[in-house]
Amino acid sequence: MYGFEALTFNIHGGYLEAIVRGYRSGLLTAADYNNLCQCETLDDIKMHLSATEYGSYLQNEPSPLHTTTIVEKCTLKLVDEYKHMLAQATEPLSTFLEYITYGHMIDNVVLIVTGTLHERDVQELLEKCHPLGMFDSIATLAVAQNMRELYRLVLVDTPLAPYFSECITSEDLDDMNIEIMRNTLYKAYLEDFYRFCKTLGGATAEIMSDLLAFEADRRAVNITINSIGTELTRDDRRKLYSNFGLLYPYGHEELAVCEDIDQVRAAMEKYPPYQSIFSKLSYGESQMLDKAFYEEEVKRLCLAFEQQFHYGVFFAYMRLREQEIRNLMWISECVAQNQKSRVHDSVVFIF
Amino acid sequence: MSGQSQRLNVVPTVTMLGVMKARLVGATRGHALLKKKSDALTVQFRQILKKIVSTKESMGDIMKNSSFALTEAKYVAGENIKHIVQENVQSAALKVRSHQENVAGVKLPKFEYFIDGETKNDLTGLARGGQQVQACRTAYVKAIELLVELATLQTSFLTLDEAIKTTNRRVNALENVVKPRLENTITYIKGELDELEREDFFRLKKIQGYKRREVEKQREAAKAYAEEKFVEEISLRRGISVSSAHDMLSQAAQKDEDIIF
Repeated sequence: MYGFEALTFNIHGGYLEAIVRGYRSGLLTAADYNNLCQCETLDDIKMHLSATEYGSYLQNEPSPLHTTTIVEKCTLKLVDEYKHMLAQATEPLSTFLEYITYGHMIDNVVLIVTGTLHERDVQELLEKCHPLGMFDSIATLAVAQNMRELYRLVLVDTPLAPYFSECITSEDLDDMNIEIMRNTLYKAYLEDFYRFCKTLGGATAEIMSDLLAFEADRRAVNITINSIGTELTRDDRRKLYSNFGLLYPYGHEELAVCEDIDQVRAAMEKYPPYQSIFSKLSYGESQMLDKAFYEEEVKRLCLAFEQQFHYGVFFAYMRLREQEIRNLMWISECVAQNQKSRVHDSVVFIF
Repeated sequence: MSGQSQRLNVVPTVTMLGVMKARLVGATRGHALLKKKSDALTVQFRQILKKIVSTKESMGDIMKNSSFALTEAKYVAGENIKHIVQENVQSAALKVRSHQENVAGVKLPKFEYFIDGETKNDLTGLARGGQQVQACRTAYVKAIELLVELATLQTSFLTLDEAIKTTNRRVNALENVVKPRLENTITYIKGELDELEREDFFRLKKIQGYKRREVEKQREAAKAYAEEKFVEEISLRRGISVSSAHDMLSQAAQKDEDIIF
């Protein structure tokens, strides 16, 4: 029931909401980003970061610092914070927190499966997985010889099982292109997450629906644009669109028949929130589209913190952290490759 | 090298002289041809050097661009995009072929790349970042093109360098060792032949001299004999044998046993 969370939320969720708001205030500000953009070398970046909350993680790194190390350590910090929150959570918050990481889990599963198909070493593959998406039986994925066994033996016990069974039969698993499989799984995940949030009700449902709808729409647009000119058929494309969101169902119909960027733009301009995004791009240019989407996402995520007593803050925090890590990666790469002039192209300021 | 201009040890005969002269002619012609070859190779060498310098400069820019394209792709599609792409690879789609080209008599290798088979990575980053991934791929393909070209240029550079060194070594050897040696041998043979001729001439002259003296002696002996004969005849007419008179006198000079004092 919307409006009465204030009475009961703090019993179970109050501690963690406070923790997450504390974490949020540790996110880098525009001033920090400005300082980082002025850096000449990676050591300067390390020095600036040691003044922020990342200090303890980067202190012990030896001096020829590499950009991938910086990103690794920041991700490590995020994982630590996540695990801390997960350990303190009760139902249904713990399920909610786990839902947030299913996306990464899907990526990891797909990575290991492709690697196994091409006969790579399991240990190496495990090292390349995203730490947020690890689960216990992940190493056993490499044991299976084909997709049917894979499903039967391993995936059935993971939380991803329902996504596999809903949309893919075991025959399809063999032939399907990896990317299509990944995107089908992700679509199932988003729909499941959406349903779950709706069952939670209240402010959570409202805020999360909005955020997830944006995610679904953004994916639809990206899939459309990226599949122009490839062998993906229109029906396949339509199958990859989620069944909720602002664009459902009419926008999806229009997007499914688009053959180039200008048609996509024409289809999107009927929806006011997306029209403002597309107006930032000039005709025929689509490179900045991703950055525009990230900016819009960050804006909505920040708005989630304006309300209290809902779980959306956790989701927003994780996403904002990921964006911050992306920013840091971009800045370090620009500094390391001596392309300081391009630094401001893609940094999205959070505050 | 002891004795820069030694000569070959040969029997100094006329045939040898002919042989040596033929060899000298051959060496001279070979020297001229090799010098031309060396010049042609050096021209090629300079051209390749110029091309290498310009290619290396543009390579710096292109590698920078392609690394940056990779960064953009990582930004949009997530840090894992590198692993995702790598794990999805079966075999290389871009391969390099080599074949030989003949430049001024030197076999230079030439590399070219070709696309073998379809890449099935067209749908990478479907949900986000697909465009950046494709842009990254084109940037790296360009970088590979340039690298293959640079590889060709550098191997040709090294091969040409070797070839030029060898040819120059041969030219110098011909010029400074073989030809002087041959010339010295020819001079020596000529000298020996001249000397033999001189000896012969001298011998001939000497024998002629002897012969002449013999003839003169004979003539004198004959003349003396003729004179004696004439004198003998005259004296015989007078009743005295000059020769016996001579004989008596000469005998008298000898001790006669019969004569006591």
